Amino acid sequence: MQEQRRSEFSNKVLIVGGGMGGIRAALDLAEAGRDVVLVDKAYSIGGLMTSLDRTFPTNNCDLCTLSPRLSESGRQLHIELMTMTEVESLSGSAGKFTVNLTSKPRYIDLQKCTACGECYRQFPGCVRFTPGLDHRAPTCMRYPQATPYAFSIDMDACANIEELVRICPAGAILPEDRQRSREVDAGAVILAPGAEITDPRVLDTYGYGVYPNVVTSLEYERILSASGPTGGQLVRPSDGKKPGKVAWIQCAGSRGLREGFMSYCSSACCMYALKEAMVTRERFLENIEATIFYMDMRTYGKDYELYLQRAKNEYGVRFVRSRPHSITPVLSDGAMTGGLRIEYLPYNAGRPETEEFDMVVLSTGFRISTEVRELAAKLGIELNEHGFAKTGGFDPVAASKPGIYVCGLFEGPKDIPETLVQAGAAACCASADLSSLRVVQEKNENFPPERDISGEGTRIGVFVCDCENNIGGVIDVKAVTEGLRKLPDVVVSETIGHGCSRDSLERIQEMIRSEKLNRVVIGACSPRTHEAVFQDTLRKAGLNKYLLEIVNLRDQDTWVHTDNPAFAACKAKELMHMGVGAVRLAHPLVDHTLPMNKDVLVVGGGVTGMKAALSLADSGFKVFLLERSQQLGGTSRKVRRTLEGRDVQSFLEELIGKTESHENIQVLKQAVVVDHSGMAGMFKTGVQVGPRMVYRQIVHGITILATGALANRPREMLLGEHDGVLTQLDLDAVIEDNPQKVKSLKNVVMIQCVGSRIPDNPNCSRICCQSAVKNALRLKELNPEASISVLYRDMRMPGMQEEYYTRAREKGVVFVPYEMEDRPAVAADGEKVSVTFTDPVLGRKVNVFSDCLVLSTGFVADEESTEDLGVIFRLPRTSDGYFLEDHVKLRPVDLPTPGFFVAGAAHSPKNIRESIAQAQAVASRAQTFLAGDAINMGAAVAKVDGNRCAACLICVRACPFDVPFINSEGHSEIDPAKCHGCGVCASECPAQAIQLMRYEDDQILAKLDGLFERTA
Amino acid sequence: MDNFEPVIVAFCCHYCAYTAADMAGSKRLHYPANVKIIRVPCTGKVSAIHMMEALRKGADGVYVAGCLEGDCHFRSGNTRATKRVAYVKKLLDEIGIGGDRVEMFTMSAGMGEVFARTASDFTEKIRRLGPNPARVAMDNPGCAAG
Repeated sequence: MQEQRRSEFSNKVLIVGGGMGGIRAALDLAEAGRDVVLVDKAYSIGGLMTSLDRTFPTNNCDLCTLSPRLSESGRQLHIELMTMTEVESLSGSAGKFTVNLTSKPRYIDLQKCTACGECYRQFPGCVRFTPGLDHRAPTCMRYPQATPYAFSIDMDACANIEELVRICPAGAILPEDRQRSREVDAGAVILAPGAEITDPRVLDTYGYGVYPNVVTSLEYERILSASGPTGGQLVRPSDGKKPGKVAWIQCAGSRGLREGFMSYCSSACCMYALKEAMVTRERFLENIEATIFYMDMRTYGKDYELYLQRAKNEYGVRFVRSRPHSITPVLSDGAMTGGLRIEYLPYNAGRPETEEFDMVVLSTGFRISTEVRELAAKLGIELNEHGFAKTGGFDPVAASKPGIYVCGLFEGPKDIPETLVQAGAAACCASADLSSLRVVQEKNENFPPERDISGEGTRIGVFVCDCENNIGGVIDVKAVTEGLRKLPDVVVSETIGHGCSRDSLERIQEMIRSEKLNRVVIGACSPRTHEAVFQDTLRKAGLNKYLLEIVNLRDQDTWVHTDNPAFAACKAKELMHMGVGAVRLAHPLVDHTLPMNKDVLVVGGGVTGMKAALSLADSGFKVFLLERSQQLGGTSRKVRRTLEGRDVQSFLEELIGKTESHENIQVLKQAVVVDHSGMAGMFKTGVQVGPRMVYRQIVHGITILATGALANRPREMLLGEHDGVLTQLDLDAVIEDNPQKVKSLKNVVMIQCVGSRIPDNPNCSRICCQSAVKNALRLKELNPEASISVLYRDMRMPGMQEEYYTRAREKGVVFVPYEMEDRPAVAADGEKVSVTFTDPVLGRKVNVFSDCLVLSTGFVADEESTEDLGVIFRLPRTSDGYFLEDHVKLRPVDLPTPGFFVAGAAHSPKNIRESIAQAQAVASRAQTFLAGDAINMGAAVAKVDGNRCAACLICVRACPFDVPFINSEGHSEIDPAKCHGCGVCASECPAQAIQLMRYEDDQILAKLDGLFERTA
Repeated sequence: MDNFEPVIVAFCCHYCAYTAADMAGSKRLHYPANVKIIRVPCTGKVSAIHMMEALRKGADGVYVAGCLEGDCHFRSGNTRATKRVAYVKKLLDEIGIGGDRVEMFTMSAGMGEVFARTASDFTEKIRRLGPNPARVAMDNPGCAAG
């Protein structure tokens, strides 16, 4: 309708890199109605994560969570996927770029390839495959749920092309395939090319590549992986024996100044080493020892400290603080036994020690590849000395050229949740460069018309997923399906490998069509996570999506009864019978919809809240921004400089100015949320505003929580009692306002983790190490003679922050580790403060008289406000009072209740830059939600049978939402658009005149019958 | 009845108890296979008839598991369920089957451990009580019997 007017700008975003970051950005943009071209140089998308066995901190493989996303990504109407494709050149400017792309020949027709694997079976050498330890096992798909689900041929490696063409049953081999070029217009570009793993061969004393039992962490993941070369058996490469002692060596290639080392920290390795050690201990229990050699355990993310504690206390992982010097082979009669001897100098001893292990895992880090550097050069964006993209200080995903954004590892080393946050931020920024006129388009996803099944006899199809070994490894899925074939109306009963993979979903569709199925039962994982995927499958095959029953075989059976496979198999049979019984009574239903309110409520007026509000307001949404104090700015008002030296106050001033003057933002100060009702798309929130606490109600579609956290000021170590004791935040102001005082200081002591990583506030506050290094460097600059000691537990300076840590040491700042059991003691001594601590090298107590003791106190959750808001909005919180997101790994800013999002320090402690990235990510997620014009209320609504209703008013009184009323015909009526679907009325109705759709009484009773019926 | 393996039906609300059960699975916590979960949107949906029918058809024990008090996704469904379970218990006492065979539990979505412990404790309790005298289908050996 407004097609012509937006012609000047392109509505398309080019995304380079199809790893987790690229996929997330593509999905966010596509769901918000933008067009995306997603290119990847590999032949299937998914990136690094698809090679992992499991991911922290859930210790699930999460491929089941990822792979529907990948097929989602392949499916989305707005996403054009181009694999084996690279960028040649770029011209133009933000809003109207022209990009030249070239695609390498795949020699496979994607439309025809069914991934049957015949080519691989007959000519394994001709098929391309990358990850792994042994590059051929067990299949040549990059991972079992690959997208696109098709092989790729290496013609140069193929001697008998004619025969290869002949054996392909689908006729999909294209020997004449050629490289192709294409020009694409794009309004913005997102770069998510990822990073490569550092090559441990340069660490010559570790013997990687020489001793087979020294492996990289990624290789170890492949060994643990059920789809890896050993089928998930933990055996060491040299002799196939199960190792008894495994060691991890951290920072293998990172945090080093030697030749071949990266000088920065790779950020994710501490967590993945913990994960690998825990998984190893969990699978093999007492029979295996896991030891981690480390310099600092950097578990600074949300709840990551608890993960470290779990590894230590529950899993018995052993920690040795030391960077080993070398690995040598254990010899017996001059021959290598496969054993490895690690030589190391413990941090608190003067003498080197050695210990033998059966296997050593090198925690290798990330580095930017030459190819990516070349890409940056082609696009004309600046990189730092290590090849990571240069970005704005308060603009975390903006590259040096307007219109180009970055996310993930290319911006700096990081883990998956942070990559996804940046991906959202990049999507948000990119869409701001596109035409502001939104494309109004029905997202009808090309579903065929629904088949009318009235009059058809019941034909049930049963499909049982093996979920790799998650189900198939515990029970015999084949036996389950065979038993079910005997049940009445069951016409198809078969197993499907990886039920959520593209080919399995297509198989189900095919069976629905060819066997004229009109009911489907899927035995798989939880309907909570995968119902939508399977519902879509039914819709694609022309069936109403409610003719489906999902039986939770994984989460509620095979995962639970691993200790007794016979029970698990019997229970699986019963659960499947219950599913078949219930699906027989399922009938087609229609979703109810309501018009969506597109206004946004942002709670919290700090940097995060303002950034989120501005991003959405710029996109044309009306935003209500609530701030409980009298002024905007939050905790940032107290911060003067960032680690990189940027001026926070001038940034803040500009931000507040923009926010307060924006025509789409209404700022409400001294505002307190007092009540809340409704659902996503039609919330009503009551607020008391201003000094007089005037009540007003705000109607809005979504809610963003950006309530921040509090600067911690624990009553300990003389804080607030002695003038010589400051927090890092206090010192920040002193340095800025009173440099004379700083110049007079002689002996400064800083103590880390005061009020953090303790039982009362168990998590790491994340920002304190950087604050200490920042302030130490500024002190040294003003007063190079001052002696500065930092007493720490682990210096957590991830990514490029590591370089500031190195610089501080170079400038003479002394860093001394202390143990939790032996914390420094502090006592007043006149104007000075006496600090006593253990010197680990000397092995005895040392006493320092300090004229300035600085405590790194970090953050605490704003318990009072998150508790109130948690109750009012019904949102879950972590045990330490931060809001708990829907999925820590894959949905880091979505809250579990639809329509709620969280960003900034209300999520967990973080610095300003990280908060801004989350604010932008939240704005992106919000736009996907607000892109639709209707709220889907689902089909589970109560329905009254007027003939049976006696108008007794019980339902009218029972409904928690006051929906039922007695209509003009004298019986109860329930408006489906208002019904929330709890079913209270249905169970209270004495005449059984009310049924809750999807959960009708006869369906529940049919489940009971299914459980108790005999099928000998 | 030396090898008595009770059959237990657990009506779990989608938002809390069913999610807690999934959580128990993802944490690989063990609980007896005797417990079979039926998902309902809210425990307020579980009527007295559902509980009684479960017992009549062959269950030895029935429990309803919902959200913690004050946390119901639908405001008050769990408090209604609590009252209804109390009513069914009284009824069962009166007809001689024994009210101990039904129970109401509450937990949050994150409480996988509580879900597993509740399932184990309730199964043990029913095991001690012995088979449900009212069940019509006596020949179901139950899963845990192999």
